[in-house]
This record gives sequence, C-alpha cells and structure tokens, in this order.
Amino acid sequence: MAEIAMHMGRNRVARAAQAFFRDYLVLVMIAALVTITAIVEPKFLNPRNLTNIMRQFGPLMMVSLGMTFVIIGGFIDLSVAGIINLVAVVTISLIGPLGQIPALLTGMVIGAACGALNAAAILTSGALTQAEALFLTFGMSTVFSALALLYSGGMTMHFWDIKTSKSMFESIGAGSVGPFSVSFVIFLVVLLLLWIFQTKTTEGRAISLTGGNKTAARLSGIRILRSIFVIYVVCGLMTGVGAIVLFSRITTAAPVIGAGYETNAILSVVVGGTTLKGGKGSVLRTVMGVLLVILMSNCLDLLGVSTYLQVVTKGAILILAIWLDNRKQV
Amino acid sequence: MAGNAIGVRVTGNGVGARVYTFVMRQKAFVAIIVMLAVMLFSPRHFYTAYNLLDMLNSTSILLILSFGVTLTIIAGGCDLSIGGILVVSGILSIKLQDVMPMELAIAAAVIFGVVVGFVNGFLSVHQKTEPFIITLGMGLLLTGVAQQLTDAHPVPAKNPAFMMIGNGDFHGVPNLVMITVVCFALAFWLMRYTQFGRNLYAIGGDYEVARYSGIPVIRTKWIAFVISGGAAGLAGMLLSSKLNTGSSIYGDLTALVVNCGVVVGGTSFAGGIGGIPQSGLGLLVFGMLDNVMNMLAIRSYYQVLLKGLVIVAIIWLDCFAQKRRREFV
Repeated sequence: MAEIAMHMGRNRVARAAQAFFRDYLVLVMIAALVTITAIVEPKFLNPRNLTNIMRQFGPLMMVSLGMTFVIIGGFIDLSVAGIINLVAVVTISLIGPLGQIPALLTGMVIGAACGALNAAAILTSGALTQAEALFLTFGMSTVFSALALLYSGGMTMHFWDIKTSKSMFESIGAGSVGPFSVSFVIFLVVLLLLWIFQTKTTEGRAISLTGGNKTAARLSGIRILRSIFVIYVVCGLMTGVGAIVLFSRITTAAPVIGAGYETNAILSVVVGGTTLKGGKGSVLRTVMGVLLVILMSNCLDLLGVSTYLQVVTKGAILILAIWLDNRKQV
Repeated sequence: MAGNAIGVRVTGNGVGARVYTFVMRQKAFVAIIVMLAVMLFSPRHFYTAYNLLDMLNSTSILLILSFGVTLTIIAGGCDLSIGGILVVSGILSIKLQDVMPMELAIAAAVIFGVVVGFVNGFLSVHQKTEPFIITLGMGLLLTGVAQQLTDAHPVPAKNPAFMMIGNGDFHGVPNLVMITVVCFALAFWLMRYTQFGRNLYAIGGDYEVARYSGIPVIRTKWIAFVISGGAAGLAGMLLSSKLNTGSSIYGDLTALVVNCGVVVGGTSFAGGIGGIPQSGLGLLVFGMLDNVMNMLAIRSYYQVLLKGLVIVAIIWLDCFAQKRRREFV
C-alpha cells in the first residue's frame, strides 16, 4: 500500500513538473538564457545594460499586448507594421501645429481607427478564418504604409526639426521616474488596465469564448461580431501607443519604422504561450514572451552574433514555439 | 401558372444574378478586361508586341511561383515561405558556382527549395500545424539565412552563360516566357489529368472524406508542399540569372503577393476550388497593374496604395462569396 501511495505521489509530482514545464517553458527558457549569458558575458548584469533592456521594452511590448487580444480571439493582425508607420509620421508632424497632447490623442485615435477599418473589412466580408484575416490585414498594412509614405512624402522627420515644446515625448523616450524609465511605467499602467479588461470584464471573457469556439459562443448569446470589432480596435490602439513610444525613443519617424513588428509581435505572443488556435492565453504570458525575445536579442548582441543570424534564430524559435504549441493541444 | 411564376422569378433574378456570379467567379478576368479597356484610351504604346511580351517576361517569375503555391492552396494549405526560398536559392545558385559547375549549382538551388518544401510539409501536414503561420516563420528564418550568406549586399554573378538563361531569347521569345509556358503545361497536366492532382482537389474539398475514401492524404498534401518549394527554388535561380545578381531583398513581399494573386485568380483559401490557369490570370492582374501604372506614370507611392487596395478588395470579395455560400447552403 505504502509503495503504491509513494508511487502515486511521485507520479503526481512528476506530472505536475511536466505540466509546469509545458505551460511555463518560456520562464525556464528565460532563466536559462539569463544564467548562460551572465556567465559567458558578465557585462550583461551591468545596471546600464539592464536599463537598456527596460527601455527596449516599450514599443514591442505595446504592440504584442494588443496582438494578444487578436490571437486570443482566434484571429491575426499583420497590419501593425502599417499602423506604426502611419501613426508615427502623422503624430510627429502634428506636435508642432497642434501641441503635444492633441498630437498624442490624434495618434492613438488613428491607431484605433485603423483597427476599426480592419474589423470593418473582416466583418463585412465575413472572413471567419485566420488565413483570410491574415491576407486581408496584409492588404490593409500595404494601404496604411502607402498612406504614411504619401503623407510624409517618404521623408524622415526628426525631433530637432520641431520648434515648439516636445518635452512630453522626450520624457516618454528618455525620462525616468525613480529607478524606472517612463516607458516602463507606461507599460505597467497599460498592463494593469489590459489585465483587468481581459480577466474581470464581460467583454474580455467574451473575447476568450469567441476565440475558443465561435459557433458555441454565438449560440450561447455572445455577440461575436462585437468581440471581433473590439479585439481589432484594441490592437490598433495599442499599436498606436507602441508607435508613439517607438518614435519618442529613437527621436525620428520614418514611414518604414514599423517593418518587422508584425512577426516579432506574433512571435512574442506565441512564445509566451498564448495558443494560435484562440481561446487560451493571457496578457501576462505575452509579457514573458516579449521579455524572452528582447533578452534574446540583447544576449545575442552582447555575444557578438550578427543581426542576420538573430533573424534566423527568431524564425527558428517561432517555428519551434508553434510546433510545441500544436503538440500541446493533441 | 406556377411554371410562369418560376420563369418570372428566374428571369427577374437572371441578369443581375448572372452578372454577379460571373464577376465573382472571374474577378481576375474582369480586372484584366477593365485594364485593357482603360489602355485603349491611352496614347501610350501599350498594345505593342514588345510591351506585352515584356509584361509577360517580368511576370514570369511570379507565375512560376504561383503554380507551385496553387497546389498547396487547392489542398487547403498555403505557402508563405516561397519568398525566403526564392532569395536563398537565388543566392545559392550564384555562390555555388565558385565551387562547382553551373549546372550543378542550378540543380543545388532547386534541390534546396525541394528540401525546404519537405520540411514545410513535415511541419504543416504531418505534424498538423497551421500552414500559413509555420511557413511565415520559415520565410523569416530563410530571409535571415539569405542576409547572413550575403552580408545583406548583392552578390554579382560572373558567368555570362548563367546570365543568358534569364536574359536570352529564342527567335524573339524570351527564355523566361518559354520556361514559364513549360511549367504551366506541366502543372496544368498534373492538376487536371493525374490521380495526384485530382486527389489534391478532394483533400482540399474535405480532408476527412478524402481520408476515408482511401486517399493517402498526408503523402499527397506533403508532395504539394515539396513541389511548391521546388518551384520557388527554380524561380529563385531564374531571378538571379535575370538580374545577374543574388540579393536578400527581393523576397520581402513576394510570398504574400503571390498567395494573394492565386486567390485573385479564383483559387479559394477554403481549398478544393480553382486551378492553374486561374492562378496564371490572377498573377497577370498584378503584372499588368504594374505595367499599366508605369505606363500611366503614376507616382510610386500611389502605386503601393493602389496595389494594397486591390489586394484588400479581391480578398474581401473572395471572403464575401464564401460567406454567401455559407449562408445559402
């Protein structure tokens, strides 16, 4: 008897450990990455490097948090690159004529409006699969990028060309509150809001249910069309915020700065453990995913790996993460 | 009386419904007719054999890519890694010429495409992951490989014989056009007259039904991905030969444009519908759009905008047609 109990106990521990590894593989990977890099390259733990990592947190994190809702809802959004391009060039050009706060708000409204346009295209055409949404939003991305090119005339705009005050954007980009950078504080606030939205509100729960099974959600009285609209607007809004943080940090805005953000955001969300099939996932997981992606590029930079090989690594990790995610379901 | 009523209803529905069905089925054809009509009123030299052949020539690479992709889309998948395969095998076909004869380097470039297609097939068919996202990741990975191979600089080809593959012509017909025609014929025969092709349609139509009817579903769909990869390898080699350089930047949007082009032609993401000729027409829409916009001297930013709008409009129509089918069945 005792033997059986012991056996069962060991089994349970083993199974719990297995479940932990499966669900929180990303945490294990982060820990391994930090340990290895800290041993190989002690510069990694320098306060300056850690501040640097904290600053890189901003843009990708905002975009990925928005993307999380789209993926939980069972869809995908390739248009974030185009939205970043458009919001960045429009916002930076409005700081002079409109002032800072109106420019900021306009940027966020444009982001949300782009998301609403995506949702309108998807809802009116009845595109209910991920593949259809992928191609529609790709087309929208091309349109938004073209609008950004037309608006800016293809020119790069710099902070130092703005004659009026731009202190708010400068502090978003480089200021700090105590030991934290301003962008990190923004991230904490946004994360709290989105976490409450996802877990504590009816709409947030409705999004998860829509992603899990559209037919079942519709039959149980959830307005799935509204959920789809909401996820794209949230994603557009967050992408707008990300664009503002991005151009504040690099102090320039070009109509091409968003390139690559769509794949990086999808990568972060999936690596964090939100499943592409929809229904399961959380903004907290995405934070871990983004942390892993940023730490990885930081470590590879410190170790002197070329940017090109970093792209290869990202692609490989994306494939691996999707493959593991898929096996988990079976 | 009843017959009359039905007759009235049919004719009342008739013209509008028929035009609607035609436009929905033949989106690409309609678009091409519209562009041809617009160009009738243009003073420029659009209707010359030179321009039309040139248009075909510049679309040929995309056409070869699209024939492979069509197979995967008909089988209910899709292949977004072709942009990555295109650039890597293009670079390989030039770089490998330093260490081996030209013919072997060309073969190696195509084999590289086949190998990547095999891996794509393993992941998306055998392991049942979502093909579009897994091939997107593969495309990202391969773009990195291409940048690493070339240090993000273009690599020039040194062999004039290699350049002639993509730039030579036979009695005025460019080599590329002839190769495209051969590929078209092969793919058309494969999809229309072989058991493999018919099985692909069945798999795309309903995977489970196909499986229960005894079709080797996994193997057949897997082969579709392998062929798509091989076609992309061939196209990459031809692109390098045509430009006489290999570079990591050409593949950026190619994959998405080709996949959209295939859908424009009438092959649907739902799978099981479409064919090689339709894909050819779909890609020609994009080729002709480029040509027409250049002829009309439209500014390049407006060209990007127009292209994006065309992509959105066509995918929108494709989804909309499916929605109607879903609702009315």
